Amino acid sequence: MNNAAPSAHKDPHIIACAGEVLEGLNEFCRSLRYATFLTDDGFEVASFGGDDKQNRRVASMASSMQALGDAVAKDLRIGAAEYIIIAAETGYVIQMRVPDQLMVLAAHFDAAETVGKALSVVRLAASNMCAMIRREAA
Amino acid sequence: MAEHVILFAGPMGAGKTTAIESLSEIETIRTEANNTDRETADKDTTTVALDYGEITVGDEDKVRLYGVPGQRRFNFMWTILKERAVGLVLLVNNDAADPIQELADFLDEFGDLHEKGGVVVCVTRSDVATSPHIDQYAEKIREVLPGRMIPVFTADARNTDQMRTCLMSLIANIEMTAMIAASQERAA
Repeated sequence: MNNAAPSAHKDPHIIACAGEVLEGLNEFCRSLRYATFLTDDGFEVASFGGDDKQNRRVASMASSMQALGDAVAKDLRIGAAEYIIIAAETGYVIQMRVPDQLMVLAAHFDAAETVGKALSVVRLAASNMCAMIRREAA
Repeated sequence: MAEHVILFAGPMGAGKTTAIESLSEIETIRTEANNTDRETADKDTTTVALDYGEITVGDEDKVRLYGVPGQRRFNFMWTILKERAVGLVLLVNNDAADPIQELADFLDEFGDLHEKGGVVVCVTRSDVATSPHIDQYAEKIREVLPGRMIPVFTADARNTDQMRTCLMSLIANIEMTAMIAASQERAA
């Protein structure tokens, strides 16, 4: 984990990268309703869709969900939590940690999407975000 | 076997996670993330969902200890966890920028737990900041929740005995409230 990095939600380069990745995610997957990158401690970095209030609230809730998922995985000794899926009647939310960063991507898709495709585009977006941050840092 | 659900609330850095760690007989469940909000509290990590621990009181009463996140942006967790709680340990760090206002704010959010069972206030880090005095906390409690009996302690969240004293005082209040409610029901 990159503990020495400045807070992602206050870093204009990281915010710009996150915005770019989210735009790409939307173009690639039209069933995307909403997505946000957030810090581990629940600050919104960048969002696609939603209003400011919702974005902040989802960032906090996704942070709690991620931490609870990590706590369950730790307690069951099954290794690190890879992703979390919340399936509801009219859609689902997938959230996944950005590799090697203190950051999480949470994305809401409508029910028309298959979980498999949604999961793979979220994974791709998370790894793109990681690659962009590394390029910025280099 | 009776079960009590007790919340530990208070501002970021008040010692909620530490207090539950001090009291719990089981390995605690913690949901901490790296803290990127150093302006609010200069600490490495912050609770983003909950802390959980358990302690047995008396022969078989199990007390479930839940710590809530200190930051208001996680207040949806406050609502969820408050639902099942019958009592509150409100921790306030004396070295906060305005601890008396923090007390008032958290009593405003969680004060209704007094009607469900009881509330105690635990002032931490009074060794680091010597003021405000404990009387000022008591005065603010009288102002915010007039007529309620809410004990105020100073304690070190790392000290099991001190935290146990706070908790036992709360449990005594909860049991007294339950007894009064039962006798009122019988009388009705």
